[in-house]
Amino acid sequence: MAPTRHPSRPRRGPDATGTRMWTWFMLPGTLWMTGFLIASLVLVAVLTLGTTDELGNPRFGFDLSSIRALADPAYTEVLARSLGYALLTCVICLLIAYPVAYTIALHGGRWKHALIAAIVVPFFANYLVRMYGWSVVLSDDGPLLRALRAVGLADGDTKILNTGVGVIAGLVYGFVVFMIIPLYAALERLDVSLIEAGRDLYGGPVRTFLHVTLPATRQGAAAGLVLVFLPAMGDFVSAQLMGGPDQIMIGNLIQDKFFQGQNWPLGSALTMLLMLVLLVGMLGYLRRTRKDEAEARR
Amino acid sequence: MSPEVPPSTRRALLRAGAGGLLGAAVAGCGFMPAKTPDAKDLAPPRARVDGDLVYFNWADYVDPSVFKGFEKEYGVSVVQSNFDSMEGMVAKLNAGNRYDIIFPSAKWAQRLARGGRLRRIDHTQLSHAKDVFGAYSYFADPWYDPGSAHTVPFTAYKTGIGWRRDRIGELTGSWKDLWSDRARGKVFLLDDRDEVLGMGALELGLDVSTGDPGDLDRITDLLGTLRPRLRGFSSDSYNNLLNGNAVMTQAWSGDMAAMLNQAKDPSVFGFQAPEEGTPINSDCYAIPWNAAHPGTAMLFIDYMLRPENVKKNIEYIGYPMPVAGSEKTYAELVKPFPECLVSEADLKADLFFRNGSHAVEDARDTAWTHVKAG
Repeated sequence: MAPTRHPSRPRRGPDATGTRMWTWFMLPGTLWMTGFLIASLVLVAVLTLGTTDELGNPRFGFDLSSIRALADPAYTEVLARSLGYALLTCVICLLIAYPVAYTIALHGGRWKHALIAAIVVPFFANYLVRMYGWSVVLSDDGPLLRALRAVGLADGDTKILNTGVGVIAGLVYGFVVFMIIPLYAALERLDVSLIEAGRDLYGGPVRTFLHVTLPATRQGAAAGLVLVFLPAMGDFVSAQLMGGPDQIMIGNLIQDKFFQGQNWPLGSALTMLLMLVLLVGMLGYLRRTRKDEAEARR
Repeated sequence: MSPEVPPSTRRALLRAGAGGLLGAAVAGCGFMPAKTPDAKDLAPPRARVDGDLVYFNWADYVDPSVFKGFEKEYGVSVVQSNFDSMEGMVAKLNAGNRYDIIFPSAKWAQRLARGGRLRRIDHTQLSHAKDVFGAYSYFADPWYDPGSAHTVPFTAYKTGIGWRRDRIGELTGSWKDLWSDRARGKVFLLDDRDEVLGMGALELGLDVSTGDPGDLDRITDLLGTLRPRLRGFSSDSYNNLLNGNAVMTQAWSGDMAAMLNQAKDPSVFGFQAPEEGTPINSDCYAIPWNAAHPGTAMLFIDYMLRPENVKKNIEYIGYPMPVAGSEKTYAELVKPFPECLVSEADLKADLFFRNGSHAVEDARDTAWTHVKAG
C-alpha cells in the first residue's frame, strides 16, 4: 500500500535494468555529498561539544560551554542583522532579476544565449577578487566618488564603503545571478500562447502578468529566493570588505572564531545556530513546492 | 521488480554512504591528542646541506634575490609555500605537513616550543649568531623561549598610529588621538583581538594581555566610546591610508615603512608610537620537529643573517631586524617615520602579548566579540 503515490504516475525507467543503471549514475554524487557535505556537517555538529588544547587545536569531548556561550545577546543581534540583510538582498535581487530574465527569455530572440552568457561569464572570476575590486572602486578616493564629486552629486563626506548600503550592494551583486538563472528557465518554459490567451480574454498587461505570467514562474522565483538567501545569510566577504563596525554579519563572527579566535567549538556552535535558521527557510520552501506540485497534479 | 520496492542498489548506496561516514570519523582522529615528540627528536641539528629547503612563511617576507643567492651557493633549491595567518600555519603543521623552516611570532613560538613542536637550535652552529644575541641582549633570553633555545629572532615591530598629515595635520602623540573629532568616521582599528584590547589596556594603564574580567569590562566600555567614531576593523592599514578611506588607523610599524615605498609623496603620511606605550612583537626563525632537512634550514638562517642579506631584506620588506650593523639601513629607510625604529628600550618595556590560560583566552575572546559586534 502506498497512499502517497498517485496511481496514474508513470514509472521512471522502462524496466528494472534501466532503473539500476540510473542508480549507479548517482554513485559519484552520493559519495561526494556523503564525504564532503554530510560527514563534514557531522564533524561540525560533534565539535560543538568539543574543547581546545593549548595550541588552539580542537579536541573532541563533551563540554556544553560553547552552547551556553550562544546565549550572549551579541550573537542574537548579529544573527538578526544577517537575517535582515539576507531577506533584503532576496527582495532586491528579485526586483532586478525578474525584468532581466523576462526581457531575455521573451524578447531576447536569437541573442538569448549570448545574453545569458554575458551575465554568467563575469561570475567565473572569484567572488572574493570581484568584491576586493569593488572595495577599490567604491573607496573614498576611488573613481566613482571622484566622478560624483566632480559633477556635484557628492560632497567630501559622502561614503559608500563601510556602510549598510555597501554591504547589501555587495550581496546583491554577488548573488543576483542565482536569481536570474532559475527565473530565466521558468520564463523560457512558459507557453507564450498563455499570455496571448490572457490578452484575448480582455486582461490588460498588468492583469495578464499577475494572473498568468507570475503564477507560472512562481517556482522559479522560489528556487531563486532560496539560492540567494542561503549564501547571503552565511556570507562574510561583503561585510568584511564593504562593511563597517555596525555591519558585521554572523559569517564574520564564525570566521573569527575559527581563525583568530582559535575556538572551533564555539565556531561550530554558531554554525549550527545558523544552519537551524537556514533549515527553517528551507523547510518553508519545500512545503511550498510540495503544495505547488500537488496543485499541478490536480 | 515491483516499483514498490526500492532497487537493491539504492540500499547498497546507503551502505557505501555509511562507510564514507566511518572513513570521515577515522580521518577525524586528527582532532584526537597527538603524540608528543621525544626529547631526542628535538636535538639541535648540525648546519650542513641535507636536502632542498622547504620554506613556509608569510607571502613576500624575504627578498627573492636572497633565495637565488642561497640556491646558488649551496646547490639546493628553495621550495616555497605561504600562510596567511599564524592559526593557518599551526593547523598545517599539526596536520602533519613537513617544513624545514617556519616563522612564528613570539606568542606562537612559545606555544610551539612548549608543545614540543620545535627543534632546538645550537647557536654555536651559526657564525652570525653573535650579531643577534650579543648586540641585542633582550633576545639572548626572551620570555617566549628561554635562552632562545628553539628560535632566532627575524624581525621586530611595534604598533602605533598611522595618519594622513594632509587631511588632519599633526597629532598629540597619544592613543587618545584615535578619538579625535577631526578624524571621526574615518578611523580604523586593526582587525586583531590582541592589538585592539591591548590599545584599550594601554590607554587605561592596564596589562596589555590582561584576562581579568573587571579589566576587560573597563576596556570594552572604553572601546565602546570609540566604536561610533570608527569606520571599521581592518588590518589593511597601508591601503586604507593610501586610498583615503582612513585618515587615521592603528597600524604595524613595518606596514607603514613598506607604505613609504608605495606613496608618491611620503610627507602626507605620519606614524607615531604613542607615549602610553606601544605593543611590541617579533617574528622568529624556527625549525619544526618533523623537518626533513633541518641542516639546510640551519644554513639558511645563517645565510639570512649575513649583513648584505639583512640589508636586502630590510629594504625589501620594511621591517627592522635585530642584527648588529643593520640599524643604519633601517634608519635610512624610515627617515620620514623615525618612530618605526625599535630600540633596545622598546624591547625592554616588554609590551608583548602573552599566552594566557584557557580562562584568560576565553575571556579575551568574549570581550573581542563585544567590541567588534557592539
